[in-house]
Amino acid sequence: MKTLSLSLLALLAAAPALAQVEGTLRFTVAEYSSATGPYFEDLATQFEAANPGTDIQIEVVPWDVLLQKLTTDISAGVNADMAIIGTRWLIDFVNEGLAAPASDVVSQEVLDRFVPALLEPGTLEGTLYGLPVAASARALYVNDALLSQAGAAAPATWDEVRTAAQAVVDGTDAAGFGLQGNEIETDVYFYYALWSFGGDIIEADGTSGLDSPAAIEAATLYKEMIDAGLTQEGATAMSREDVQNLFKQGGVSMVITAPFLANQIAAEVPDLDYSVHPVPAGPTGANFTYGVTDSIVVFENSQNKELAGAFLDFAFQPEARARFTSGEGFLPVTTAEAALPEFADDPTLQVFTGLMANARFAPTIPGWEEIAQITSDALQRVYLGEETPEAALTAAAAEIDGILQSNQ
Amino acid sequence: MTRRRLLPYLLAAPGLALALVIVLWPLWQLLVIGTGDVNRFGQVRGFSGADNLLAVLADPDFHAALGRTLVWTVGIVLGTILVSFPVALILDRDFHGRGIARVIVMLPWAVSLTMTAIVWRWALQGESGMLNSALRGLGVLDGNVQWLAQASTAFPMQLLIGVLVSIPFTVTVFLGGLASIPEDLHEAAALEGASPWAAFRTVTLPLMAPFVNIAVILNTIYVFNSFPIIWATTGGGPASSTDILVTYLYKLGFRFGRLGDAAALSLVMFALLLLFTVLYVWLVERQQRRDA
Repeated sequence: MKTLSLSLLALLAAAPALAQVEGTLRFTVAEYSSATGPYFEDLATQFEAANPGTDIQIEVVPWDVLLQKLTTDISAGVNADMAIIGTRWLIDFVNEGLAAPASDVVSQEVLDRFVPALLEPGTLEGTLYGLPVAASARALYVNDALLSQAGAAAPATWDEVRTAAQAVVDGTDAAGFGLQGNEIETDVYFYYALWSFGGDIIEADGTSGLDSPAAIEAATLYKEMIDAGLTQEGATAMSREDVQNLFKQGGVSMVITAPFLANQIAAEVPDLDYSVHPVPAGPTGANFTYGVTDSIVVFENSQNKELAGAFLDFAFQPEARARFTSGEGFLPVTTAEAALPEFADDPTLQVFTGLMANARFAPTIPGWEEIAQITSDALQRVYLGEETPEAALTAAAAEIDGILQSNQ
Repeated sequence: MTRRRLLPYLLAAPGLALALVIVLWPLWQLLVIGTGDVNRFGQVRGFSGADNLLAVLADPDFHAALGRTLVWTVGIVLGTILVSFPVALILDRDFHGRGIARVIVMLPWAVSLTMTAIVWRWALQGESGMLNSALRGLGVLDGNVQWLAQASTAFPMQLLIGVLVSIPFTVTVFLGGLASIPEDLHEAAALEGASPWAAFRTVTLPLMAPFVNIAVILNTIYVFNSFPIIWATTGGGPASSTDILVTYLYKLGFRFGRLGDAAALSLVMFALLLLFTVLYVWLVERQQRRDA
């Protein structure tokens, strides 16, 4: 009897709070796959049913044009209440006072649901602005059939990558190491080696690390592998998707990429004999994965922060999250979600979540996209043989230092 | 009396007003952003005069893209005219299956430019592309060529695609021109004993001049600002070596967030096109006055 009256009391206490959320919330959503739009529409419908008087408007925007759409919306003053953004863009939003601190929108209880490490990239100068909505890491995918045919084992270091690639090239029709050299994340493919050799993108003194010995060593490694015919042909024509497709077709034996390739393989080539391993280590044994999070930001000019908070509370429940994470091929972002058997018992995902502890993220600095482009351009010139690693990277570092300086 | 004088202006007013809004307002916006201290999200924070313009003019990528745009525009427009003229001459003749031939020539026009460019990107793909397998099948190639991996092969291919997609429009203009040449002029030339080549040079070519001029001006404007072919095939890469002004502009504005610089560059591009068009029209008119 007592418990009943207590829960009645609780209901009564909760009722006015629930009744208060009403109004219209516009949410700009990045399209990860064809499932993204329907997922968020579905979520919105459920929320609206539970909270009469609310209207959640989902605007699905392809990734390629997301930043452009947000930029034009903001400059015209017609931005949505909240949006999914790449966390690497967050600093620009925060510097311009566009993003609201997360604690203004959601309760501490909601914030406590997240895997703590994933809140780091969305935190700037001690304030959390972006809630991680998607998380990803990178690992080495190995085609076991090709490697065993070539008599090689899955590599753990860059030296072993070279040996294994040589064996695959000698013993099979496939290419050895898949080297992405075109389009978005061409720079990221280089950071794997850079970090393994002890370098960093931005060094402790705040200047570019591209002119460090580690960077030159890393670029030289890739260039030597290209020259020795250990990579697929035409690296500078191959985007991330191109290299992944080649891996799925069995045309290349190794590639470093994100968990979603496992989803694609399961859907398209379930018979492919492959396994997932940590990013190869350098001479000191160091290896780091590239961690990526995307964030939900609520805009400072939103008039519906309360509704946004209620919707986010609803969206970050374990079941809703699990449906999104497994549907898109990401890593869990909340601890309750990570504990679900579908994630905790998946051997491929375990490799990725294990790596997440040792993840490095893109530095949160203004002008990052331009720095990434300069890096990619320099790498492409190296891969094409137009410039030596030393010349290309030193020039790129000088250019990047200029940007870093002008931003201060 | 006054009413009669006013009427044409009154009738033209709505169209003129619309044109002014469509042309002048964005131009004004560009001017504001291009001379402003603008943040990453296009919000103007102050006036910065020519700073943005000077920053663009000092960028080596701008110079490279400018030179490439010149090659791109001249190459495609010239190539298109040279290919389209004979095609139009053939399609103007009466032959069996002419209707089908005309449809085939026009067909690429019906497909969106981006779509065409994406199909070409697949065709030029090194491992599974159709071009490589066709050339291997014909015995022209031994191994695969990675067409889009370096500018030396990618850019000529992009020029070729540009010519290909410009042909339908140009042929249409030329066919209209050929149809407007009175048949008796050709008959008269034939009666006078003119050879086909002489008839072409003295009858067809001079009468086609206005149509060639239109094709040159319109194609130049389209091609100069053509974004999809380069963006969908190489994205201006590798290492910005296939960037033309318009792809460089896109990167500047929407990748790097330098909206002030991008607006200044837009104004430069607008001025370049305007300059070209005025110069070309002036040249053509001078030529016509001399002929008259």
